[in-house]
Amino acid sequence: MKGLKKLAGAKSSGQLLIVVALAIAILISTTTAYVYEVSREKPSSTQDYPIAELIQAVKQGSRNAVISALANASTGGEKRALALNLDRLVQAYKSLNVYGLYYLSYNVLNDSRYVNGVLLSWEDTDGLGVSSAYANFTLKFSGLTEKTTLSYAINITTTITLEGHCTLNGSEKIVNLTCQVFNEGKTALAKNITVYYEVNGRWVPANSSNNLSITDYGNGIYAISFTISTESDAVQASIHVYDLRGIFVKANVACNQA
Amino acid sequence: MKNQKRGQIRIIEAFLAVLIVFSSLAISASLTTERKTTESSDLASIGLQALMKLDSDGSLSDYIETGNWSGLRETLNLLLPEGVSFNLTVYDGDMQQINNEAITNGNLDSQEVASVKYVCVSQNPNFKYYVIYLRLAVVK
Repeated sequence: MKGLKKLAGAKSSGQLLIVVALAIAILISTTTAYVYEVSREKPSSTQDYPIAELIQAVKQGSRNAVISALANASTGGEKRALALNLDRLVQAYKSLNVYGLYYLSYNVLNDSRYVNGVLLSWEDTDGLGVSSAYANFTLKFSGLTEKTTLSYAINITTTITLEGHCTLNGSEKIVNLTCQVFNEGKTALAKNITVYYEVNGRWVPANSSNNLSITDYGNGIYAISFTISTESDAVQASIHVYDLRGIFVKANVACNQA
Repeated sequence: MKNQKRGQIRIIEAFLAVLIVFSSLAISASLTTERKTTESSDLASIGLQALMKLDSDGSLSDYIETGNWSGLRETLNLLLPEGVSFNLTVYDGDMQQINNEAITNGNLDSQEVASVKYVCVSQNPNFKYYVIYLRLAVVK
């Protein structure tokens, strides 16, 4: 106190001002350094996104995993492909901790139609073919400010409908088919279409020797025609389709003479 | 006595000055940080949306699996707003870098950079996933 009083004295007031000015200078320089540090390049963490976008990203990943499993199961892979894919997806998200703190769980549908979450209904002769995969998910998200639990289902279904008739053309029959492709109930395009007809219980691929023609109307509708020599009244036809996602589906139909 | 009082007033004045300077700097610093965080967050959100759009029809994994890095660069260029620079790195599930060439449309150095980490799951029948790091900056 004595020192302060001395400093505050008239003769020492100049020294005090110097000390205070130094204090100001130090404060300004440290504050400036702080401002510079915090305003420098700040890598934003993924938690900066709105939570709705994170949920969308996880949904997108699970949807693609279900598509991958159905493409696998429908092309001869095992039906457990869906559970295997989803196990790996959950592990991947968990180990990478990509979208902050959350827990993703799933269960595949098992009922009278779906086995291990997969339905492949191809063998009917009513002109309908279905390849489908279904799984339910629960996403528990714990961000710094909000906690969310969301349940959602992913249903991936590729359906084709087939209608057909045949007409007599001399000793041959012209088979006309109309095939429609759907993804999740909406019209979709096919990546590849193969046409078969049945001869003596054996499926034979139709090709250029059968004057095979496939007209793509660009809206998921395909008009198919081919010619065969047969004595039977009805012609059994089968269409094998790969959709743009690589999911395989087939449908059979009996084409009667128009 | 008079001189002593004058000295005390000077000290008070000096501290008031410090207080004013310090508070103004503190306010400006907080404003700057808030603005930059918002910008960065918006940019990250734009980047995430672009990746999700590209992934929705499986084309993102197609570009990766075919190694079509120039196609990926051009598509991102179209999807992102004009004036946004990006740099994208693709890793496989074992976190090994896949892209053997830079997927970028400009230099991100000395700019405000936002980062996006995205998991791209392939629609391929053989289950695969890729981890994508997208860094974005507004060209000034």
